[in-house]
Amino acid sequence: MNIEHKTWKDPVLIAVVAPLAIVMLVFFLVPLAMTAVLTFQTTQYYRLVWTWDLKVWTEVFSKPHYWTIIGRTIVMAIVCVVLCLLIAFPTAYALATRLKSYNTQIQIMIVFAFLTDAVLKTFGWILVLDRNGVANWMLGTVGFAPDSLDILFSPAGAMVGMVYNLVVYPMFTLYLSLVRIDRDLLLAAYDSGASRLRTFFEVTLPLSRPGLYSGGVLVFVLSLGAFLEPKVLGGGTSPLASELIRQSFETRVNWPLGAALTIVLISVGALTLALAGLLAMKRSPALRRRAA
Amino acid sequence: MPVPIIEALNIVKDYGSARALHGVSLEVGEGEFVALVGPSGCGKTTLLKILAGFEELTEGRLEIQGRDMLGVPAASRPTRMVFQKLALFPHKTVAENIGFPLKLKKMDRTEIDERVRAMIDLMHLKPEYLDRYPAQLSGGEQQRVALARALVSRPSVLLLDEPMSALDAKLKKSLQAELKKLHREIGTSFVLVTHDLEEAMMLADRICVMQAGHVIQIGTPADIYYRPANTFVAGFIGETNFLPVSVVRESDGAATVTSPLVTGSPARLKGEHVSAHLASSGTALLVRPETIGFVEGDVSPDQWVMTGTVDEYFIKGSSTQYRVRVDGLAAPVVMDLPGSIVLPAEVGQSVGICFDPASAFLLSE
Repeated sequence: MNIEHKTWKDPVLIAVVAPLAIVMLVFFLVPLAMTAVLTFQTTQYYRLVWTWDLKVWTEVFSKPHYWTIIGRTIVMAIVCVVLCLLIAFPTAYALATRLKSYNTQIQIMIVFAFLTDAVLKTFGWILVLDRNGVANWMLGTVGFAPDSLDILFSPAGAMVGMVYNLVVYPMFTLYLSLVRIDRDLLLAAYDSGASRLRTFFEVTLPLSRPGLYSGGVLVFVLSLGAFLEPKVLGGGTSPLASELIRQSFETRVNWPLGAALTIVLISVGALTLALAGLLAMKRSPALRRRAA
Repeated sequence: MPVPIIEALNIVKDYGSARALHGVSLEVGEGEFVALVGPSGCGKTTLLKILAGFEELTEGRLEIQGRDMLGVPAASRPTRMVFQKLALFPHKTVAENIGFPLKLKKMDRTEIDERVRAMIDLMHLKPEYLDRYPAQLSGGEQQRVALARALVSRPSVLLLDEPMSALDAKLKKSLQAELKKLHREIGTSFVLVTHDLEEAMMLADRICVMQAGHVIQIGTPADIYYRPANTFVAGFIGETNFLPVSVVRESDGAATVTSPLVTGSPARLKGEHVSAHLASSGTALLVRPETIGFVEGDVSPDQWVMTGTVDEYFIKGSSTQYRVRVDGLAAPVVMDLPGSIVLPAEVGQSVGICFDPASAFLLSE
């Protein structure tokens, strides 16, 4: 594999990168900068007052309530990543190695479920998780006490919805990593004297890292902004950051506060990702080398 | 024949209803270099995979070092494989790749390091490669790493699945020479799968020629070249000529052959010039390109003469190859002449060509 190194002055490179760079600049960096600027404004009688003031930031840092919610959001996101990867890996592994003849049909089913509107799917879970719902009825028929599953309108209920809506991302990133693993590599490991389990940990798992990382990052970022599931399935009992930000903008009409909380959420999320990245790099010499 | 290390008896392999191997038997001696040769789809790779333990045999018996290999997984066999696409672990360094089989044996770290370094020396790899990744090495260097990984645990048998098919001609030649030297140095039995009979002849002590799941001939390179079992084996070696003949066998194994396509008296071939597998139909005389010459002046009566027109010639440097079209023969007669400053014939020229039938070899389809 040869990687061509080009300098930033290369006109072809600039021409190729420019469109995406402009899109990112106009639709991502500029709004982000505007959000940052907004945090230094104040409100009076539900109206924005243009000043340069640290009032909003002092409020954000003086109220632990906000930090509880942001902390909960991060924890929920991490739990969601772990659950999604734990569910997605065996599924993707089976798709890539065992179910080859039904591969297309299964993928179509997954994509179909994935493309169904999230609002519909999330409300659908109420029917399943309700005290008189499908899940409890099924548990009841196999001998559990009635109402044994009572997670609707709790963080656990929200988590079920989040995992359900996000699990397809790592499923596909992992599938793509796993199908690219040459079967001869597994044979070479067996031939070298490795058991199946050892081969999994020495060959399959390390080579599926790109899929694990990209799937994990996708789920993490998307679950930081999870809004629907905590509202519908969490019952609003323990709101997450997106609900807090929505309230600041819509209910309290305090745009600077909403903007500040947005910046905090993005920063804490980015920091968590950076930490996870550093940890992963420490574990894997190959990644460290590539970064150098 | 040295002590056999691999004994395969009547091995049959079915994939569903398709039979890939029809009762193949093969013995590999201790320290012997055996090549499995044949066109693609002849079953040579399937046989190698059965030896390695990647495929179960359907029928037959396989013993390695006197132990029945039925149900013994690849990991527990005294064989190691070098894969066609090498199958180096891309996420492991060269040192980790080579040391992997030892790590699995829970060997001491310092001893692993020592043996990996010894392998690096044996394979003429630079010590600074140890910390590199396979993708950072050239094709030939990756080849050596794959060999080192296969040999580091000192297997009794090394299995090679066309490991040099992806290399360019020059690199291939130098690695072939090294492989032969390596085999001589370490004394491990080698089983090489290749579709290139020239490679097999250069490297192997014995060659097993396969076709459509059958073993056609097993023998030394000289056997295969000078005493091919049939026209398939003879034609596989390279360009050669088959002249259809009618045969009268004699009691001592010799044969008298005649052909309406040539002028010359019936020729008597000694027993060693007749294939052991001679059938009554499709008999042909194998005439090597280098044994044919143009007619110059008088021809001795025991030579066979044919007339034809020059179809094409190729100047190969040390030799010049002529293709002469002869009436009654489907393929042009190929002849290799020593190179000369003045070409003996031009394209389209009518020529007489002659050869000594008594030095040819009689075989059948």
